[in-house]
Amino acid sequence: MKNLFTASVLALCAATAAKAEGQLNLYVWAESFSPELIEKFSKEHDVKVNVDGYTSNEDLLTKLQAGSSGYDISTPSQHFLRIMIDEGLIQNYEASKLKAYELIDPRWKNQWWDETQSYSIPVAYGTAGFAVNTNEYTGPLDSLSYFFEPEAPLAGKIAMLSYPDEVVGAAQLYLGVPFCSEDSDEMKKVYDLLAAQKPSVAAYSSDNIASRLASGEVAAHFWWDGEELKARVNGAPFAYALPKEGLVGWIDSMVIPNGAPNYENAIKFIEFMSEPENATEQMNYYAHSSPMTLVADKVVYTREKAPELYPEVPVEFSRTCSPAAQDLVNRVWTQLLQ
Amino acid sequence: MRRLTHNLPFWGLLPAWLLMGFALILPILIIAAVSLATRGSHGGFSWDFNLSGYSQILFNEGWSGELEFTPQYLLIIGRTYLLAGLTTLICLVFALPVAWYISRQSPGMRALLVYLVTLPFWVSMILRVYAWMIILGKDGPLPRFLENFGLAPGTSFMFNDGATLVAMVYTCMPLMVLPIYASIEKLDLTLIEASHDLHGNRLTTFRRVILPLTAPGIISGAILVFVPSLGAVLEPVLMGGGKQMMMGSLIQLQFGGGRNWPFGAAIAMVLMGLVMLLLIFTALRAARRQAGMEATA
Repeated sequence: MKNLFTASVLALCAATAAKAEGQLNLYVWAESFSPELIEKFSKEHDVKVNVDGYTSNEDLLTKLQAGSSGYDISTPSQHFLRIMIDEGLIQNYEASKLKAYELIDPRWKNQWWDETQSYSIPVAYGTAGFAVNTNEYTGPLDSLSYFFEPEAPLAGKIAMLSYPDEVVGAAQLYLGVPFCSEDSDEMKKVYDLLAAQKPSVAAYSSDNIASRLASGEVAAHFWWDGEELKARVNGAPFAYALPKEGLVGWIDSMVIPNGAPNYENAIKFIEFMSEPENATEQMNYYAHSSPMTLVADKVVYTREKAPELYPEVPVEFSRTCSPAAQDLVNRVWTQLLQ
Repeated sequence: MRRLTHNLPFWGLLPAWLLMGFALILPILIIAAVSLATRGSHGGFSWDFNLSGYSQILFNEGWSGELEFTPQYLLIIGRTYLLAGLTTLICLVFALPVAWYISRQSPGMRALLVYLVTLPFWVSMILRVYAWMIILGKDGPLPRFLENFGLAPGTSFMFNDGATLVAMVYTCMPLMVLPIYASIEKLDLTLIEASHDLHGNRLTTFRRVILPLTAPGIISGAILVFVPSLGAVLEPVLMGGGKQMMMGSLIQLQFGGGRNWPFGAAIAMVLMGLVMLLLIFTALRAARRQAGMEATA
């Protein structure tokens, strides 16, 4: 029956899915890949590249679970990559046999999200935390308490993401509750914290963050390090908090979904993106850290220029929660926004 | 030959049936089936019959781990209906005079005004909502305008229920104006004169003559506004700040972060069931009214 479901979805998609040779369909974080690099790849390999973007891991997971997506490359974060491997949604492309594998910084090789490094080659990593508009807030940034238990001028001018994923993680860091806790008393504390914060929250939204923060509509926004950095170097009055309780870490990797129509091109693209020159250019575009070997003197975002990429506070990477732990996260979120 | 003509209605309607079947009925059946399935541990589902999608609307494990009555989803459903109802009401109040005004113009002017009413449809809905975010937002035209009069300096009108309602009314308004306009345009003006001749004052004329004759337009306008308002996701999230869930975002959450597809499908079925009840109710009323009219005629 599930096959029938997949088959009917497939049949409906068949008419539109691009199957012609010389194509590559990316479904990656919105605005994450350098358009110049994609153009360069497109020219070098005579491949037409189509790019679709998503703004949450959940969107990607749901799309892949719904059946053949027609995409060749996606970039899930580590905790979702693990689910996709376990649920059989992505292909084993023997990544460890690619040239790209040799270029991965040893720190990021064969981690728990892909122990044998068969399914993925990492492309970017970073953190999630709070960014502020320094025209609106000039106070200290060294603790999460300013955001979770805000006082004027931040009270009423904070925005959180619309998904629980990293927000609950940050609350857990603040409270010292372990990620993926299955203890409902501990998670009740997380709920209490977020519920007490709610009157001070202007919006729960993952869209349009840069302009919401830049306009001063909110003074602090839950965000990602690279996005804040990119806006800051372009002149926005932003700062990224490096709180002593820590930051929520993530690492995105290139995977090939099942049924990818252009497997060969996907492999070519992964190799292409991992060449040191291109990986450097990608990092300079995306403004998130690169887990690959770089051309050191071409890196724009050095430690001096981009302290947000080199946090000295603890970084705790999101984990793949058990269904029981995930249900507690959902209970927190649904009760929060009921 | 006779057989063919006999079957003509069937073959002639086939494209419509196919469209209905594949684009409407099949997806609904799939959702209905998913709502009865068992959730997968990380989203998705397996085809094992399970009613927990529906029971979760009312009963969930509390923080103590015991199954308890949880009113939160009923609250969300109620709030969604309230918002849709308010949107419909406000649209109606504004649309009646607008439609009346348009219908009283010269034919050329009428065409132009109707065109203007439909103009917003040419722009993507998300852009129209973004436009409102700028208008109401900090340093936007509205707060600036009010500041000229020394009112509410430095305020933003964003991220509250009022902002949500403004955007909802704005996006739905044409759907209310057009059907009402269509029925007012057909209104026989001599009937209004007759009402005045019979000493009906303005209110009586409106209540006893205009309202009953334009009722079909008002009802279809109300349905066209109310039903999509129930599923609104964009306006509550972007304008309201997403602080209180609506059914649309609740369903979205279950298919996304909630990883509970059967529950999401079950809420979608409940939403659809409630809409169907409403439509059946109005259809029955219309049929009764029709029968009543034929009986008196």
